[in-house]
Amino acid sequence: MENQMILQMLHDLLVDVPCEFGAIAIQIPKGSDVKWKHAAGNLNDKYKRITLRYGKGIAGRVISTGTPIHLDRFPDNIIGRDLEYPIMLAEKLISAYAVPILLNGSAKGVLLVGRRVKKPFQLHEQKAVRDYTTKLEKVVFSHD
Amino acid sequence: MEKDTVISHYIIDSQEDEIKRISNELHEGVGQTLYSVFTGLEYLEGSMQEPAMKSYTAEIREQLSKTIQEIRLLSLELHPPSLASSGITAALKSYLKLYTSTYGIITELTSAGNERRLLEKQNIMLYRVCQEALGNIAKYADANLVHMKLNWEAEKVIIEIKDFGKGFDIHTGLAKRSGLAAMCERMELIGGTCLITSAIGNGTLITLSLPY
Repeated sequence: MENQMILQMLHDLLVDVPCEFGAIAIQIPKGSDVKWKHAAGNLNDKYKRITLRYGKGIAGRVISTGTPIHLDRFPDNIIGRDLEYPIMLAEKLISAYAVPILLNGSAKGVLLVGRRVKKPFQLHEQKAVRDYTTKLEKVVFSHD
Repeated sequence: MEKDTVISHYIIDSQEDEIKRISNELHEGVGQTLYSVFTGLEYLEGSMQEPAMKSYTAEIREQLSKTIQEIRLLSLELHPPSLASSGITAALKSYLKLYTSTYGIITELTSAGNERRLLEKQNIMLYRVCQEALGNIAKYADANLVHMKLNWEAEKVIIEIKDFGKGFDIHTGLAKRSGLAAMCERMELIGGTCLITSAIGNGTLITLSLPY
């Protein structure tokens, strides 16, 4: 039930922002690895097998720093090597914006939105994504 | 041996020595020190009474645990200790496990024949070429599945890496991607060969051959 609700929220997000891909990575149960649990607009199911590397790539850095990250034209201007950005490679994303999903003030998840064309996320679009995380925080950790 | 080949050997050997040193330092030095800090934090956490401080310490401990795990993985990627102790098959098996959990690409590894003990330099070169091939698959192939096959024949070992992705035109690929040419050059430096076969829509097969 919660999964369906989260998936619907992701689909709504794709329309509202707008963008082509949206996914949520979370650490459930507490203390375990962070994995992509939900995705909309995905090209394949690779995301299901990916475990986020702490401090690596867009989502790993969001988890370790607790702050949003914007990539406007992957693989240009990135920190580290392109191979450290698995979700960008798996979903052929060029522009992406990722924000932390908080549990008790700590980043325990990531909401990522992406486009397969070079179209950076404008400030109002970034705000829309951040607003979604507030709604998501209540749902994604409800069964933890 | 030609002068250029001697220089290539020297550069690659120096790089590998440095990579091995950094890998060991991460694993045995930084990793071990962080683990000592981790156990110290566990001890402190156990003796704390105030719930807020206890929870804060638990949070730091969890972050430290993830950092230790990442350092271990980084060290493994740089230079797997199993390469010297257990051989190329074990090292590749371990790397493929990490590869699947990093890129979400399913891998299957089979080994036929009796594994021979290779020289350290041959082991590391084969490992690097396989890493490069797998990295290219993650970046360009659009593949969900990779088959890796090791055939230990009487006089040589043959490693086949087959992806079921979109394939590419060999001539344009070799001109554009220096990594492909570097793979072949690395194999030549240890007396082996590298054959790349690909067709658009039919995936790519990389065949590495190394005489003992």
